[in-house]
Amino acid sequence: MTQHTVKSYEDDLKFLDNRISHMGGMTERLLGQAFDALSRRDPKLAGVAIASDKAIDTMQREIEEHAIAMIAKRQPVADDLRHIMASLKISADLERIGDFAKNIAKRALAIAGESHPKPLLLGLGHMVELTLRQLKDVLDAYAARDADKALVVWRKDEQLDAMYNSLFRELLTYMMEDPRNIGLSTHLLFGAKNLERIGDHTTNIAETVHYLVHGQTITDDRPKGDNTSSTLIQRG
Amino acid sequence: MMTGAAAAQIMEHAKTTPHHVRIAINNLDFYYGTSKALKSVNLPLYANKATAFIGPSGCGKSTLLRVLNRMYDLYPGQRATGEVVLDGENILKPGLDLNLLRARVGMVFQKPTPFPMSIYDNIAFGVRLYEKLNKSEMDERVQRSLEKAALWKEVKDKLNASGLSLSGGQQQRLCIARTVAVKPEVILFDEPCSALDPISTAKIEELIDELTSDYTIAIVTHNMQQAARVSQHTAFMYLGELIEFGETNGIFTSPQDKRTQDYITGRFG
Amino acid sequence: MTPNTNPYYAARKRKNAISMALCVSATLFGLTWLVLILATLLWNGIAGLNLAIFTENTPPPNAGGGGLANAIVGSLMLTAIGVAIGGPIGILAGTYMAEYGRYNRVTSVIRFINDILLSAPSIIIGLFVYGAIVRPMGGFSGLAGAIALAVIVIPVVVRTTEDMLLLVPNQIREAAAALGYPRSHVIRLVAYRAARAGLITGVLLAVARISGETAPLLFTALSNQFWNVDLTKTVANLPVTINNFINSADSNWKQLAWTGALLITAAVLTLSIAARAIGGKGSK
Repeated sequence: MTQHTVKSYEDDLKFLDNRISHMGGMTERLLGQAFDALSRRDPKLAGVAIASDKAIDTMQREIEEHAIAMIAKRQPVADDLRHIMASLKISADLERIGDFAKNIAKRALAIAGESHPKPLLLGLGHMVELTLRQLKDVLDAYAARDADKALVVWRKDEQLDAMYNSLFRELLTYMMEDPRNIGLSTHLLFGAKNLERIGDHTTNIAETVHYLVHGQTITDDRPKGDNTSSTLIQRG
Repeated sequence: MMTGAAAAQIMEHAKTTPHHVRIAINNLDFYYGTSKALKSVNLPLYANKATAFIGPSGCGKSTLLRVLNRMYDLYPGQRATGEVVLDGENILKPGLDLNLLRARVGMVFQKPTPFPMSIYDNIAFGVRLYEKLNKSEMDERVQRSLEKAALWKEVKDKLNASGLSLSGGQQQRLCIARTVAVKPEVILFDEPCSALDPISTAKIEELIDELTSDYTIAIVTHNMQQAARVSQHTAFMYLGELIEFGETNGIFTSPQDKRTQDYITGRFG
Repeated sequence: MTPNTNPYYAARKRKNAISMALCVSATLFGLTWLVLILATLLWNGIAGLNLAIFTENTPPPNAGGGGLANAIVGSLMLTAIGVAIGGPIGILAGTYMAEYGRYNRVTSVIRFINDILLSAPSIIIGLFVYGAIVRPMGGFSGLAGAIALAVIVIPVVVRTTEDMLLLVPNQIREAAAALGYPRSHVIRLVAYRAARAGLITGVLLAVARISGETAPLLFTALSNQFWNVDLTKTVANLPVTINNFINSADSNWKQLAWTGALLITAAVLTLSIAARAIGGKGSK
């Protein structure tokens, strides 16, 4: 890419990218820690995870202020404008993702004392794995300005929705089997819901990356896999 | 050289938009002596829309503007080939009455150019040539033109003062009033704000915006933000070629050509 | 290093002081002579200044008394006619060069020739008119004098007209043309107005130039001792009268010559100041 005649403009834009990738890394780590705290029943790690969300929020504000200042000072147009808007939107998405991850860590605290049935955690673990991979991919796509890769992430969200669906059914069944499981299951259910929401924000980022690169929004209909809002378990 | 595909795309644009094409520029070449300043330019100017010409210095945008009222005819050695069709008539054809053309296609210049006469006469000057108005009709025309140029309130008590006694911004609005007074169809603006302060600039931009509802407007500007603010369509020119033409929103958010992108984001050269 | 201790700075200051001193002394040298001339003129001329100068004709030799009335009126007449002929021709020619023929080769040829004419010794112009008009017409005449003066006026006015019109920004012409005005209107209504102060200055300077010319009149209008406003005859005029009177032994004539010289100088000075004042106003 040709450099701006005004060098500090270049530095300002680089600063934004830098912060976004840093923030992305922090968000990924937070999510990983939150799940580890949950599966290992580690309240201390949960505390660390919860605390790190503050840093993510701070970073989001920093990006926002920087972006607003750039709009005011430089009247960006074309790819610069898209770049700055993208960092605003992506940082907001990452901030939300951080919030959801923090919520999982909080639930880890709440259910730290209870025993976790392995299969349920396994399902959640798969979801976390996919969510993390999606997040990492979309951040890579952003860093590399790779719209195709972003599109792959965007499509893949369907899988995450499917996983959420099956986990939803599983947890529902589990609760029906033994009402004593309801407390734990509800927390896990919300955890799964958080992951599903994280997936949605990840697709938002993917859309933003696509717009950033091509100046156009994705025109396909995104395959929607989450139908839990209309799911009921038929009683035997 | 503009690719055939790009030209086709622009003409396609002209066909598919619902706007009425007031001026169609077809395969326009322009020469200063032997050097070619415009290279087969194809461009529509839509009625009741403002079209901005942007591009680095020497890209031919002012030259293109000066073809539209054949201002270049004042100087020897300058010639244009191709077609510029205004309401169905090729204005490049020999034997065309240039004075009539220029009454239809008005022009406002970079520096304010009030004539060394009273404010009233500055406006009446152009009108007298083409219309025989009695005193009260002329008074009304002068007032209406000044109102249109948002200058009436400021000068209504000193119409006999010299046009040169006004401030730069007022002088420029006087020039706009003068142009409007002869009832043109098209108004060309050649960097109309480059000699003005920000407040006067804002007033002129507001004015251009209002004039758009009655006239077809073409504006050359070095100020990209101004192009973005006042125009509905933007043409980016480079080295005598039209590189990209499209709706202003599109050009300024997602230009298709890398040169356009580099220019408007300040990456040129 | 402070400026005071910097050797280069000190050297530069010294150089500055030297060239300043040279310039000032050159100016003073020039001004001294100018002041001396004016003072002598005033001293000698003012003694003869009285009402009779303006009311009585030039006296015969050794008669005493008399005035310069016929010479003053003759000079005014010749100058007026000279400008009336040369001014319009000069302005039209200058207009052609600046407006219509700006990019022509002809114009640069005309400009070159005009510049030569501008600096031609006026006696040559006198001789030319003598040959072209006085001889064929069979005698000296006021008309021939006026024509000789007109020939001097033309290059001055051509030059100033062209220069002044070229100074009018092209944009103002384009602006007028952009309203659909034909070229002749653009020139008359806009370019002339914008250059008006300059054009008037040019004509005034031409008047100042010819009002003191002696040489071209010697061969054309000659002079006359009597009251005469008939342009076909010789016409009295100040420069030639001064020329004739100053060399005579008659002290009365000598005095009249000094007074006449004072009058011409005063008139030229007034015109120059007027031209300057008008030109200054126009440039604002």
